[in-house]
Amino acid sequence: MKFWAIRVGSILLAVLVSYGIGMVAQGSSGTVSRLIALAGLYVTLAVSLNLINGITGQFSIGHAAFYQVGSYTAAFLASQLLARGTINNLGTPIPWVLAAVGIAIVTSGIAGFLIGLPSLRLRGDYLAIVTLGFGEILRIIIQNTPQLGGSYGINSPKAFVVPYVWMLAFLCIGACRNLLQTAHGLSFLSVREDEVASGAMGVNVTRVKVAAFVLGSAFAGAAGALLTFNEGFINVNSFTMDVSFIILTMVVLGGTGSITGSIIAALALFTLPEFLRDAPPMPLNAVLGTLAGVALLVGTIRLALDQKKLGRDFLTPKTYMGFGIAAVGGVIVSILANFLPALANRTIPSAELRMVIFSAVLVIMMLLRPQGIFGHREFGLGSIFKRAQA
Amino acid sequence: MSEPILELRNATIQFGGLVAVDNVSFEIQKGELFGLIGPNGAGKTTCFNMVTGVYKPTGGDIIFKGQRINGIPPFKVAKLGIARTFQNIRLFGALSVLENVVIGGFLRNRTNIFSSLGYMPGAIKETERLRENAMALLEVMDLADEAHGRSSDLPYGKQRRLEIARAMATQPDLLLLDEPAAGMNPQESEDLMNTVRKLRDDFGKTVLLIEHDMKFVMNLCERMVVLDHGEEIARGVPAEIRNHPEVIKAYLGEAC
Ligand SMILES: Nc1ncnc2c1ncn2[C@@H]1O[C@H](COP(=O)(O)OP(=O)(O)OP(=O)(O)O)[C@@H](O)[C@H]1O
Ligand SMILES: [Mg+2]
Repeated sequence: MKFWAIRVGSILLAVLVSYGIGMVAQGSSGTVSRLIALAGLYVTLAVSLNLINGITGQFSIGHAAFYQVGSYTAAFLASQLLARGTINNLGTPIPWVLAAVGIAIVTSGIAGFLIGLPSLRLRGDYLAIVTLGFGEILRIIIQNTPQLGGSYGINSPKAFVVPYVWMLAFLCIGACRNLLQTAHGLSFLSVREDEVASGAMGVNVTRVKVAAFVLGSAFAGAAGALLTFNEGFINVNSFTMDVSFIILTMVVLGGTGSITGSIIAALALFTLPEFLRDAPPMPLNAVLGTLAGVALLVGTIRLALDQKKLGRDFLTPKTYMGFGIAAVGGVIVSILANFLPALANRTIPSAELRMVIFSAVLVIMMLLRPQGIFGHREFGLGSIFKRAQA
Repeated sequence: MSEPILELRNATIQFGGLVAVDNVSFEIQKGELFGLIGPNGAGKTTCFNMVTGVYKPTGGDIIFKGQRINGIPPFKVAKLGIARTFQNIRLFGALSVLENVVIGGFLRNRTNIFSSLGYMPGAIKETERLRENAMALLEVMDLADEAHGRSSDLPYGKQRRLEIARAMATQPDLLLLDEPAAGMNPQESEDLMNTVRKLRDDFGKTVLLIEHDMKFVMNLCERMVVLDHGEEIARGVPAEIRNHPEVIKAYLGEAC
């Protein structure tokens, strides 16, 4: 009784919060409303990639491809309905939106199945290349298929989907959380930890990997379908390698395997570029100087951390000297950069700056905290996400 | 004699030019404590890998409970009732001690993945049941106090015991232990011997074990086969093996 009360209560809560977010979005400007939708989509994308990479330990770096499959499935359906006059340009009715999402789940799930198959034989970098290649092949196929809009793109009547975007995000979070609460989820983790030992313990490693790919890509596909109706127009540029890279950064930053980590990293990394968007272009020499300074700083911290592991103090005169060198080094690099004709007086537009920041953040993470900000741990409302103890 | 639980019939495996296991045949009866010994590189672990489906024999047959199991994938072999430990410990390091054992029991799980994704009562009950079983096994293996610690934080000897607990969780009929006493001090070794005996006496398991510690094998095992360079050089009860000229020759120069 209590079990079902909590169950129904939490589902109701998620639905209410989603509608609440929807109302906020409706009350705000078009730009803000769009951002609220995209933030929810990125949460879904990061949490679903975390299922494949973080929980099951596969190295998929082409998650945008599944997002794209879902998005184009929905756009294609909408364009067909539009051509037949079932819907008009004013907007897609919600039942049609949900039907399209359902079909997108199927198509992207099939794509996930096909990409999951190589994961049975390939490991690490090799699997990464396959997943990345899939995205590129897909892009080229779409660019050369007029029915899918070619390189121009494809129109589909908009719909107000913000509440559904967030319901999907909560559903994805809930499903991953539930999985990890059960023995089933442990079998996914065991594949990440040691495939040979999992097999010897009777875990069907093949099935687990394929299931992770199918589930992860089905969620990404559903997100893609909602993106279609949120934007009203999509083209291949919405699903470039950059997008895959950003989703991957979110998962790595959040700590592979940690659901809460993925959520927080998704929200943080998603909002960061939005702040940068309005920033003025940055002088190139200042960016280079900052990067050099940060690199030296990270190096110093890394060395100091190693010192600490050996039982010495973190803050020694040497550490302070390192900080000093980092500051001076940064300034020197930015001054020197202005003397090089190729680099002098150039600026980096803010849109490209975010890629610089993402890459820097990723490298810094790898050096200082390879396990991610939250490591394998769950964070925040604690007990909801923590794997149960006996 | 009744039907053996495990039978190797001329089992052979070749890696390129190297015949790692050459025409090896032996039978193990239900409830036996059986030893597989031999110097380094004799092919003992390779025998385990053939029995558990990691490698497919290039010749001969592996018969388990009357069924030919050559080339069946490892997870199916585990379901049939053969569980193993690894010479180079392979725990699920980032997971807790208890979780390691729960995974061992998962192969007898009766719920489907949708029930787990939806956190349905069936999946919850099943997980609860596996957890209780796991906890009981940790009691048997004397690891209950560390149940919630990270398995990779355990000291070496306890990691070996945890591997046995995890294998036991699959509810096997036949337990394969690859050097279970390696790296243990004499006291730990002694305790382990009693535990393995208990697994047979109280839980009815048949045990096939590889071990370099001669005192351990001679005291524990009732029968054994000795391999050298992939071939059988002797078999019998401990007293016969101890004084067997071939065995002494094979081990000459090795500490035993
Ligand atoms: N996958 C493989 N490919 C090639 N050679 C292999 C493979 N596995 C084992 N071998 C070889 O087979 C031989 C037997 O190895 P095995 O691991 O079975 O020895 P062992 O009796 O377990 O020795 P130890 O006591 O050192 O564990 C060795 O020469 C080994 O190099
Ligand atoms: Mg060996």
